[in-house]
Amino acid sequence: MASKQNPDVEGTRAAFEAAAVPFMQSLYNTAWRLTHRSEDAADLVQETYLRAYRTFENFTDGTNCKAWLLTILYSIFINRYRQAKRRPPMESLDELEERFHHLAQPSDPAVDVTTVEGWGSRWSPEVERALRQLPEDLRAPVLLVDIEGLSYEEAASALGCAVGTVGSRLFRGRKSLFVMLREYAHQAGFGKGDPP
Amino acid sequence: MTDPANHLGLTLQEFLDDRLDAARQAEVRAHLQDCSQCRGELEALRWVRDIALKRLPAEPVPPGLAGRVAIALDRADRQARPAAPRWRKWAGVGIAALLAAAALVLLVLSPSRTNLPKAVARDFAEYSSGRLALDLRTSDGQAVESLFAARGIEFRTRVFDLGMMQYQLVGGRIHRLGNHASALFAYRGPEGRDLVCQMYEGRLASLPQPDDVRDHDGIRFQVYRVGKVTLVFWQEGAVVCVLASDAESETVIRLAYAKAVKV
Repeated sequence: MASKQNPDVEGTRAAFEAAAVPFMQSLYNTAWRLTHRSEDAADLVQETYLRAYRTFENFTDGTNCKAWLLTILYSIFINRYRQAKRRPPMESLDELEERFHHLAQPSDPAVDVTTVEGWGSRWSPEVERALRQLPEDLRAPVLLVDIEGLSYEEAASALGCAVGTVGSRLFRGRKSLFVMLREYAHQAGFGKGDPP
Repeated sequence: MTDPANHLGLTLQEFLDDRLDAARQAEVRAHLQDCSQCRGELEALRWVRDIALKRLPAEPVPPGLAGRVAIALDRADRQARPAAPRWRKWAGVGIAALLAAAALVLLVLSPSRTNLPKAVARDFAEYSSGRLALDLRTSDGQAVESLFAARGIEFRTRVFDLGMMQYQLVGGRIHRLGNHASALFAYRGPEGRDLVCQMYEGRLASLPQPDDVRDHDGIRFQVYRVGKVTLVFWQEGAVVCVLASDAESETVIRLAYAKAVKV
């Protein structure tokens, strides 16, 4: 992505490419999981880079460039792609709580659940399908925090909401995913304490 | 806290994501010893976070995307470059005249030459006196955000819900603030007070010396007073937000505190 410009422009371009281009895969993953269409995802990523380049002076060296780019990407997504009215029907919070409570079976007290366990390692397209079924306001924090590794604070900035809202949406999103994936979870070894 | 009948709910996630202090973590561990339901729920949350989502494969980036991005950036570079051919075209007319014209253009166009606090105060006065019309009158914040997106505001706008503070949304307009495209939206508050908010892409640092600086929840607020109007500016990412009102100064500042988001 080299360019032949005057020295100032060339320097800015080189600095931008060095900082931003390594995150193209992350941006595309997120864009694809937000839009569900490869053409829209590519357009969204291209627009994100263009907007980021034009406002590169606003990026502070030493801060998380991926979080900054994802903030721009989500802003464009909200303005151009999201159709807020098309929210998939979701069970009420109370229903979700009840089902999650029921399905998250009490584990063997001998299992130390405070440490990382190695349940299952198979990937199934069911996870992708379940993620797609999440309403966008729950899916976005899951994408940013659990998949792209942003902090709650960075995700709050990207989503334009309070840190507490990120936490509560993430909580609902994770519980919803577990409810949708319960069969796969148990097949993959969830609840057995040891890797299969 | 350790009563198994009181399940932990959201605290389990805060424990999982390491967002609790040491004392609270110890309380959660003690609770987990006695509460199999919470252990099960913690396992479920951990499975989703560490297994299901971490196993998702990357979606292959289309082969042409990097090239498309490069072309778009090239185009942006060309637009950003000074119009060199015009300099040559006008060389015969006289370099001094051209420099003077360029200086005049810069004087008019440069954002730093526009006193934005005064401009915002003027906009507030014009809105309050009915000389600045709104493009859309509605109390629906989403409708105003959609208006901004549809009419070319390229950054994400947040039309605040100030109902708790007794300010009702009146509507919004696409505006110009100096050289910036601005999303302007207005509220009607207690005793008929007007409140105008504007958002634009820019830098807080480029504003003139404020009359007052406040720090709240890690956010810097620059406060200006122009006549009876209080203006409170703060930065959210690439966007500068400003609230303007002739309400009591501390009221305007508190409204800004309530709605600012740290970026």
